[in-house]
This record gives sequence, structure tokens and C-alpha cells, in this order.
Amino acid sequence: MSFTVNLRDVTLKYGDADALADVDLTLEAGKIYGLLGRNGAGKTSLLSLIAAFRKPTSGAVLVGGEPVWENAPIVSRVALIREGGDFDDSDTVKATIETGQIRPDFDLDYALKLADKFELSLKKKVRELSRGKRSVLAAVCGLAARAELTMFDEVHLGMDAPTRDAFYKELLAEYMDRQHTVVLSTHLIDEVANYLEEVVIVDRGRILRHEDVETFQGMGATLTGPADAVDAVAAGLDVLAEQRLGATKSVTVSARPDAATRERAANAGIEIGPVGLQDLFIHLTEPGKNGA
Amino acid sequence: MTAPANTRLPSRRYALGVGMAGEGVKYFRFWIAAAVLVSFLGPLAISRFNDIELSTWFYTANVAKWFTAFVGGGFVYALVPNMIAAGLTRRELSVSMGVFGAMWSLVLGACAVAGIAIERFYYDAMGWSQGIDADGAIAPIGSWGDTLAFAAVYPLLYLVYFAAGCVIGAASYRWESSGWLLLVPILPIVFSLDNALYDTEPFGPGWMGFLGRYMDEWGRGVVLAGIVLVALVLAAGAHRILIDIPLRSKKA
Repeated sequence: MSFTVNLRDVTLKYGDADALADVDLTLEAGKIYGLLGRNGAGKTSLLSLIAAFRKPTSGAVLVGGEPVWENAPIVSRVALIREGGDFDDSDTVKATIETGQIRPDFDLDYALKLADKFELSLKKKVRELSRGKRSVLAAVCGLAARAELTMFDEVHLGMDAPTRDAFYKELLAEYMDRQHTVVLSTHLIDEVANYLEEVVIVDRGRILRHEDVETFQGMGATLTGPADAVDAVAAGLDVLAEQRLGATKSVTVSARPDAATRERAANAGIEIGPVGLQDLFIHLTEPGKNGA
Repeated sequence: MTAPANTRLPSRRYALGVGMAGEGVKYFRFWIAAAVLVSFLGPLAISRFNDIELSTWFYTANVAKWFTAFVGGGFVYALVPNMIAAGLTRRELSVSMGVFGAMWSLVLGACAVAGIAIERFYYDAMGWSQGIDADGAIAPIGSWGDTLAFAAVYPLLYLVYFAAGCVIGAASYRWESSGWLLLVPILPIVFSLDNALYDTEPFGPGWMGFLGRYMDEWGRGVVLAGIVLVALVLAAGAHRILIDIPLRSKKA
């Protein structure tokens, strides 16, 4: 069993300010979601509501079809891992991992195996860990929770590139081994893009877009070829990003080229590929845009 | 804190409470051992230069009240983010803290009673007087019956101090900059009741017992009932603060 998520008309206020306003969102069970948004867009607030870290000011948050707030059978199977983890710094790494056993499905053997794999010293106090190792500990606790809904909020911060890569692979292996719902909130968009099935973009406290990855990639295109030819084809199109290496140029445009443009591009030796998720994200959340 | 293995959902709140008490004793075991050693070896050292007329254990048991408040407050402050992030509900955490507080108070109270009884044997054997400082004059605790009656209320006192600590700890987490201000109404009430129960100068800042002047005429039964009532109110207050407490945002 893996959990669905439903937010119905949810608002969260901090004082008078809206962190989230009138949010309606449905996440199907058993998929990997990417949660994207600029700093302060409301990603962490959204995840905090889904994990019952906070109570919404108004609206309903359902996980697995049930209200998540103070629902022990549900929250014990939901894991939100925040950057650096929510640990007692005076505990040892071993005691921190063992604390996870209050979850009914926590897999201690798997956690210890991961700790060994990621070279976490069990005897060290949490406060003695580097930022990267602390992030690894958080990731280990999240993976070993064997939750039906697992959410990682910027948990990769501080991890070096090889560790991040190993974490993503372990996450994918765990997902393949046991179907459950995963949400990855991150700013390293291109790094996780290949793992995602659907993407939710939050902007200024509202859900800007929620689509599968293919739909996002179809919202634009990348034209790569001889610089002059690319410039000629891209003329008049909304250019999101461009890169040049010698005589070769790559341009990302915000609309899928029509048949005539595609034919012109092919004749000029230009390759047309899907739009990069990061470029599209930057475009959609640009101040002044409405995300359409 | 290490959670008990194979926790079952319906009963994990109780298992956790018991586990916390065990972890608390384990965490502070060297402090407790040091306090016991100082309490029993201290008078032996002092007796070489002075007569022993005061119960050292009385002071140890009084320090343990503040220590208990610190344990209640410190644990709840640390466990709110730790346990809720690990999938515990606030209600479960509240019940766990209740079990923890009851067990901690019982165990520490039993130690306090045992300590004062052992000290009596010890002082009798050494020919010393087991007295307390009662309003400036040293008064012997009295017969064996008086001694046990004197010590028997310690579990209740530890419980009320634990509950006071929990309220302040939970409020400090919930209202980061101002929660600790609950110290102002809570500690004078608890301290004054403690003062009224023993009719002595309790260990701690004397000014905090200013409410004692209104309790001078109260009988021991009324004071005890007052302590039970305050413990219940504080426990209910801690539960209320915890039941919808939000987890703080992480700081960069």
C-alpha cells in the first residue's frame, strides 16, 4: 500500500501572511514527484502540512484518504526528512537511527547497512557530524523508515556529488523494491529530473503547475546546431536560455515548434530536443509571469 | 533517545514513556551516583571538624526537585521535534511524557525515601543528629514515623516539579522568544506549596516562596491537596500546549 495525498482548499498563514493560499492538490499513490519552487515559494510549508508538522489555518489535508492530523496509523507511515534532519544533537548516530524504530515499518538492519555504505560513524554524536554527513544521516533515516509516503526536503544539501548520486540510486532502488509515494523537493532540478514522474511547481504560496514530466518537456524545445542556423530558426520565438560552444549553439524556447519550423530546422541541420526542466522552471516562475 | 524495538502502534506511547524514564536514569546515572556519594561521604569528611546536625540527604532530595523540573522541561523541548518528525502524534507524545513523569517521580521519590531512611541508620550509627533547618533553627526530623512521613511526599513533589518543567519546556519550544516567561506564574506557586508543606526554607531562591505567607494557616492535608491540584493543572496545561504544537521551520 502506498499513500495518496489530497489537499482541499488549504491555506496556511504565518501571522497575517499567507504561506499557502487556497491550495488544491492531488498526488496519486506510488509515484515519484518533484516539488519545485523558488526560495520562500511555500514548498516546505506544503510538505509540513502533508506530514502534520503543522496544522493548516483552513482546509483539509488527507493522506491515504484520511485526515493526517493526529492520525497515528497514518503519520507513523509518513516520513518528511528536512534538511539536516530533526535530531537530538546530543544523541549518537546509532541512537538516532534506533529512534526510528517507533515507526512500525522501520528497517533497522537496512538503516545500519546504509550507515555502513555511506561511512557514517555510529559512535559519533550528531553534533560532531559535518553538514554533509548530517544530511546523509537524515537520508538514511528517511529511506529506512519504509514509509508509504516519503518526502525529502532539500535533504541533499551538504552532500558531495558522489554521495548525492549514491543517494538517488538508493532511493530509486528502494522505490523499485517497494512501491510507495515519494516527493523530492529540491533546487538541483536537472540532477533529479530523470527520476521524476510528475512535477509540482509552487510559486508565491500557490500551485503554479502540476503535470507529468513529459508534458513539461513538451512545453518547449531545445534547438541545437550551427549558431547562425539556430539564430535564424529561433528568431521570433520566446528564448528561455542559450548556450554557445564554438560554432554550435543551443537555444531553449518556450513553445513547441510548429511543423514548418521543425522542417526548416531539420533542413538546416538543427536537432530538436525536449526542454530542460530547469530552464522551463526558471521561465515559469520568473517574476511577472503567471505560469501560463 | 533510543526507542524500544518492535514498537506496536496502539501501545507505543506507553512503551516510549517507560523507555524515556530508563534513558533518563541512564543518561544521568553518573550525576545521580555522584550526588549519592557526596551526600554520604560529605558528612563523614565534615565530621572531622564539626558536629553533624543537618540531614545532607534533605538537601540532595531538594536539589533533585529542580533537577526533575529540568529533566521534564529539557526532555519535552528536545523530544517535540525529534518524536513528531519520527511519526509520533502529539497526543502520543503527551501520554508518553505523562508515563515518563509518573515513573521518574516514583523512582526518584523511592530513592529519596530510601536515602533518608538509610541516612537515619547511618547518622544513628555515627551518633549524629538528622535535622533540618526550620526557619533558622535546626530541628531534628523526629521519630522513625516522622522521618518516613517527612519523606513520603517526595514522589508527589517530584511529580509537580516535573509537570512544571514540562509546561515551561513545551511553552519555550512553542513560543520561542516568550514561552519561558511562564516561569513567572508557575515557579512561585510550586515553590510556595513546597515551602508550606515542610514549613521550612526550601532549597532555592527564597523570594520565590512569597505566596507561602498566604498558606501559613493551611493544614498539611490542604497543602497536599493543593499540590495534587496544581500537578493536575500543570499536566493539563502541558497537554494543551503540546496537542497542536507546530514544528519550527529549520534555520539555514
